[in-house]
Amino acid sequence: MTDILRLSLPLTAWLAAFSAVYGLQGLVCSDRWAEAGLDLTAGRIALTTAWAAAVALQLVFLVVLHSPRFTSRSAFVHGVSRTLAVAALVATLWTLLPVVTTSACL
Amino acid sequence: MNALRRHRALERIWASRPGWRGKLTTVNNNDIGLMFLSLAVTFFAVGGILAMLIRAQLATPRSAFMGPDVYNQVFTMHGTVMMFLFAIPLFEGLTVYLLPKMLGTRDLAFPRLSAFGFWCYAFGGSLLIVSLLAGIAPESGWFMYPPLSSTLGSPGINADFWLLGITFVEISAISASVEIVVTVLLYRAPGMSLDKLPIFAWYMLVVAVMILTGFPPLILGSLLLELERAFGMPFFQAAAGGDSILWQHLFWLFGHPEVYIIFLPAAGVVSTVLPVMARTTLLGYGWIVAGAITLGVMSFGIWVHHMYATGIPHMGLAFFSAASTLVAVPTGVQIFAWIGTLWKGRPEMHLPMLWILAFFATFVMGGLTGVMVAMVPFDWQSHDTYFVVAHLHYVLVGGFVFPMLAGLYYWLPHFTGRQRYFKLGKTAFWLIVLGFHGTFLLLHWAGLLGMRRRIDSIEPGSGWELINLLASVGGFVMAIGFALVLIDVGVNVAVTVRGRRNPWGAGTLEWAMPSPSPSYNLASLPKVHSRNPLQDDPDLPVRIARGEGYLGDPGSGLREILAVEIASGRPSCLVIFPTNSALPIVMAFVTGGIFVGMLIKIYWLVPLSVLGVAALAAWWAWSLGNRGDLGLQPVGHGLVLLRASEVARPPGWWGSLFLLLADGVFFGALLFGYVFLWTVAPNWPPPAWLEPGLSGPLLALGGAVLAFGGIRLADRAIRCNAGPWLGLLLSLAGLAALGSAAITVLARTTHDAHAYDATLWVVAGYVVFHAAVAGLMTVFLVLRAGAGYLSARRIGEARIVRLWIDYAVAAAVLGLGAAWLPEVLT
Repeated sequence: MTDILRLSLPLTAWLAAFSAVYGLQGLVCSDRWAEAGLDLTAGRIALTTAWAAAVALQLVFLVVLHSPRFTSRSAFVHGVSRTLAVAALVATLWTLLPVVTTSACL
Repeated sequence: MNALRRHRALERIWASRPGWRGKLTTVNNNDIGLMFLSLAVTFFAVGGILAMLIRAQLATPRSAFMGPDVYNQVFTMHGTVMMFLFAIPLFEGLTVYLLPKMLGTRDLAFPRLSAFGFWCYAFGGSLLIVSLLAGIAPESGWFMYPPLSSTLGSPGINADFWLLGITFVEISAISASVEIVVTVLLYRAPGMSLDKLPIFAWYMLVVAVMILTGFPPLILGSLLLELERAFGMPFFQAAAGGDSILWQHLFWLFGHPEVYIIFLPAAGVVSTVLPVMARTTLLGYGWIVAGAITLGVMSFGIWVHHMYATGIPHMGLAFFSAASTLVAVPTGVQIFAWIGTLWKGRPEMHLPMLWILAFFATFVMGGLTGVMVAMVPFDWQSHDTYFVVAHLHYVLVGGFVFPMLAGLYYWLPHFTGRQRYFKLGKTAFWLIVLGFHGTFLLLHWAGLLGMRRRIDSIEPGSGWELINLLASVGGFVMAIGFALVLIDVGVNVAVTVRGRRNPWGAGTLEWAMPSPSPSYNLASLPKVHSRNPLQDDPDLPVRIARGEGYLGDPGSGLREILAVEIASGRPSCLVIFPTNSALPIVMAFVTGGIFVGMLIKIYWLVPLSVLGVAALAAWWAWSLGNRGDLGLQPVGHGLVLLRASEVARPPGWWGSLFLLLADGVFFGALLFGYVFLWTVAPNWPPPAWLEPGLSGPLLALGGAVLAFGGIRLADRAIRCNAGPWLGLLLSLAGLAALGSAAITVLARTTHDAHAYDATLWVVAGYVVFHAAVAGLMTVFLVLRAGAGYLSARRIGEARIVRLWIDYAVAAAVLGLGAAWLPEVLT
């Protein structure tokens, strides 16, 4: 089971973070955000922070999967899980890049 | 015991009953797989005829062949049949048939569940075909957008057939997925560690998890839309706080992964067949596994790229456009690995190889147009045009049907036990490939010229007339090709001569048995040392038949099989499978009462059927397990193992875990819908938030503590060989309190007042349902304990019930918390 978790966790975390940031962007652009007394600058800060946290989480996965304490005994699982962790890191960097490059609510 | 006597003894144990009654009671993977395949091909023929009707209608301008009402039903049913009744069941059938053989085992994890899934598929599919024949078929397009599909746009019974029929069919997909995941993880030949899994098994593992996480949002959407249609709960009506865009989110949360759910099994076939045709081994096995997993997960992150035209802000569009471009990378990794495999091998141009080449050309073209429509500006131009229709046919036909035809011709000698005779097949190949491109390559052009999808007539002078005429000719050429394939298969089955085993010289274990395969698949289970056991040891089939592997002695008269540890493939326990039974078909029939009752609005039939299903499920489960500790059992080669009923996490525990994964995604999608409406929908906030009061939260809190603690108390008592009664009683009381807390939510809201109230009804109903299910399971456990089925060693059943109670507690805390939170915050 732990090998299955090694293989599935980083990309699942990307999917969760991606969906959560999309949801946060929806919230920032909704009336509820303004009703809470927050503006778009606060929204941009929240989105960027969420992106940074998602990237940091993926870096943690990479380090953990690389460490002898947590790595799999199977060379195959070790190799594939590290590849998937790199893929998840790249996906987090690329797919959430719009939080700093596009308008939030237009 | 010689090989022949062993064969006869195993056939007596594993075979279905003779005659047609045997088909109704069989639980054998060979029978169920072939039944799935036959029915899926039948539905493919139905979908193909509907496609030809569409092409006949559009062949000439202002055609009087069909009126708009009929045309709407025809194109809706074409998409529905092809997606839900053909594509998914086809690969399910292939997997049910092949997977145990490839894994070196005797059957799938839960044979009765296989049969139950098949009958749900057969009954649900029949419901849709009946609607078509009666002229009251769904007519809102295969993705059923409200308000067109709500009572506002579709007041008749047509849409109900889709919502209920498809949900019924989806039970089969969920059942098959639980089967596949548990089979791949636990039921393999000894020694088959994760790195030695056949590549097809990896693909199917990914696909099965995708189905478990991709289908629940659609099941939820269908349920919500049906509740709106039947009881006026306004989830998708803006005037009452709903939002029709919520349907699009729920549908495409399923719909986009669905494309990959269809593609990945086909990719698994390509990865299996291609190296054999190229006389080599697969290049980049690990990269392909990583590519398949990445593709599977990333496919969930691009659902909104079907919704670019709904007015989403730029940042949201950019998220999904970026993700859509990224998904091309793992696809490309697989394609380059296949090209590399061809490069290092010596390809032979047999018919399966021709189909793979057709797949390459067509799928790459479809993939490139996919990158085009992933770009927002281009998508805005081509949205809802025939460009998209052509693109999706390139991806689905090129990416699924062509590889499946490669698989058909590759495994046909296995299915029939006869020599290959494929002359007709080559003619069919050229007709289908040329006909397909003649149809859909041209329709890209029609789309770029502005031809909208789903129009029932084209106007003279539009510039689309010649394109459509040629496309229709191409379509009929393709149809003739498919008819020839059917004739070709018939010829191969009926008249060709007996062939030798493993005619392709493949290395995987499905070729290590006689063809067609016996009901037990393998006379004994081999020890595996590599990914291609037959290439390492060409005598392996003979030694398997001689009973030189594990479980080679059929003396017990039981359906014996080995479970293994997930990572290492070391044998972990001995499992005894259930025998043939009419329970699956009866249970599917009774399950059908739930859907038919909703459909024809005989609502008393719904709870009656639910009770019937619960009673049958209890009967089903009662037949499993044993009353005494049997201890270690010999399984061959001096190895002794415990029975599965005597380990803490039996296969049923794993099945429950993955079923609850699907259940959890359903609940997550429901909470997402709640948050979505609260955030985005017009006419929010509702006139009043629900006031929690004191009784509801106290009941929920107390119930959660009692249920959670009670089952653990019972668990400890069982482990000490003491009576678990107190713990089980506390659990029952806790579950009753949780259900009562949810009922306070129902009592304080009106189901059709506002989308908020309607949502709370569904959330509370979900909690009541799960408290009831966990409660029934607890009562079942009480009876089992009383009948002597539990002991310190036989604790697996209690662990399964614990899993369900824990889930019910978590769902109640989250769901009721979400219901009461807005009032607390304000």
